[in-house]
Amino acid sequence: MPEPESDVLCEWLRHTAAATPDAPAIVEENRVTSFRELFEQAAALALRFVEHGVQKQDRIALVMPKTTDAIVSIFASLLAGAIYVPIHPTWPKERIEATVADCAARLVIEGASFPSRITDRQTGASIAWQTALTSTALTAEDSLPRVDAGDPALILFTSGSTGRPKGVVLSHRAVSAFVRWSAREFQICSTDRIACPSPLGFDLSTFDIFNMALCGATCVLVPGHIVWMPRFLAQFVREARITCWYSVPSILAGMLQEGRLAEHGYPGLRLILFAGEVFPGPNVARLQAAIPQAVFANLFGPTETNVVTWYRVLRDFDGSEPLPIGRPCPYATVTMEASSGELLAGGDSLMSGYWNRPGETERAFVTLEGTRYYRTGDRVSLAPDGNYFFLGRLDRQVKRRGFRIELGEIEAALLRQEDILEAAAVAAEDGQMGTVITAFVRARSAGAVTLVEAKAHCARTLPPYMLPDHIVFLNTIPKGSRGKTDYMALGRIVTELNQGLNHGDQERGDQERGPEVHRR
Amino acid sequence: MEIKSGEIKSEVRKYIADNFLLGAQRATLEDAMPLITGGIIDSIGMIGLVDFLESRFEVEFMPREIDVHSLDTVERIEELIRKKLASRKAGVAAGNGQQIR
Repeated sequence: MPEPESDVLCEWLRHTAAATPDAPAIVEENRVTSFRELFEQAAALALRFVEHGVQKQDRIALVMPKTTDAIVSIFASLLAGAIYVPIHPTWPKERIEATVADCAARLVIEGASFPSRITDRQTGASIAWQTALTSTALTAEDSLPRVDAGDPALILFTSGSTGRPKGVVLSHRAVSAFVRWSAREFQICSTDRIACPSPLGFDLSTFDIFNMALCGATCVLVPGHIVWMPRFLAQFVREARITCWYSVPSILAGMLQEGRLAEHGYPGLRLILFAGEVFPGPNVARLQAAIPQAVFANLFGPTETNVVTWYRVLRDFDGSEPLPIGRPCPYATVTMEASSGELLAGGDSLMSGYWNRPGETERAFVTLEGTRYYRTGDRVSLAPDGNYFFLGRLDRQVKRRGFRIELGEIEAALLRQEDILEAAAVAAEDGQMGTVITAFVRARSAGAVTLVEAKAHCARTLPPYMLPDHIVFLNTIPKGSRGKTDYMALGRIVTELNQGLNHGDQERGDQERGPEVHRR
Repeated sequence: MEIKSGEIKSEVRKYIADNFLLGAQRATLEDAMPLITGGIIDSIGMIGLVDFLESRFEVEFMPREIDVHSLDTVERIEELIRKKLASRKAGVAAGNGQQIR
């Protein structure tokens, strides 16, 4: 099948639906949707959007888990010339509403119940979830707007250090750059069955959805409830005959730790891609030994640029050295700022900017010798062989289980509780648990806020993946000489607390731990 | 394995207090307090909780049973474990019957 020329993502689906109409596009448990069905459903829904007055570049918020309906909604939005904004339905109500308002969504599609519900935010009217394509609608397909590759296709909302999630705007062309490259480099074809357990709000999920549309591969949806349950997940990978896998390392590490990975063969699994966080070398080596026939590659890049560097793991990698993040992808321009060691990334996959935040967009970019770069905030080193290595962050952003979290956003959330006067969050690495986040708070008075209340407050404003593991009450938050929060000192308290817990100290119940710490 | 009345709840409270509340609060964890929707346990914590329940009470969970609704309070957890223990008992009895035949 010749590759479609256009970089407009929904044109890929049109092209593939014409070339291989009966091939399976999406598998969701027992439901199989062919390319013809997927295209017709998406086109029918797009026409409804247009009939309803949706204009080019209107935002359509998809408050949906990663389901067939959600993928239909994505292509419907794109065919209508609109921008899709994925929002995870497990986010707290307050955050969902704030995000829908921030992007000024024209339509909201809620997919938690069946059938999905579409609401027009301007008029409050409901639109029926109607994906049957009538014969009159087929001819009316001409009424769909012309979409350009430079038009924005999606907005991904990610953790914002000031306490509000910020929207990364990505054009059709930006997504196309990554997907086309990955299709070529990893030879994705119509017989591939791709699984990517990342929710729609993460850039990783552009891989499976759009490689499906571009290459005619099958997108196999991973049931949301087993993503973090290694024993069921390993079984799923085997039984669903997955050939290409793309996820954060934590999910793969979970399957390794669970120990049953090596009990079975995964003969069809030929490609394992991972991104989003550091994958410890020994784990990579063990995984490679467990699935010896697969190609392993480390992909690297923030949401703002999608993948910009990559590294194919060598066959004889023994895990004794850290894994490089590799060399630039052909569509990316990458350089390292000499003074800070910061990775700067430009090229075709670069975001258009942050939604509605001109100031932050301006600060995010730097232009060097005529090339526009995004400041990644990642500190890297460059090896003589041209491979980059990730060293750490220049700011307070952390990764936990591959999720990107601004510690400042957790602090801002806690401070919205009126009896919390100060809040400081720190992250520490724990061998077993991975990244553990502890939030320290100073309350108005002893007993003004209980631990359970503080946790419940966080759950009302932060998405589940951003919740602190522990909240510790202090009488005073340690300060440095300039009156700034002493995060190093807080890190030491975390170490002490962990040591205490490891010595069976938890039997002490409600007693205070140390002179400063109040636990309620 | 014989499980005494109240034992499931107290074991679950202790586990939650030790793992999610830094050892505090065991006494005040009420039966109907929302654990997952209330932000005390996150989704990964939920998987840890299931591992604990499986090993402590020698039961097995199916993927569909591991959801926010059935594990959100101490009360519901107890109910689920009781059900599992009861069905296991029935299963064992049936197994014995087969052996006799």
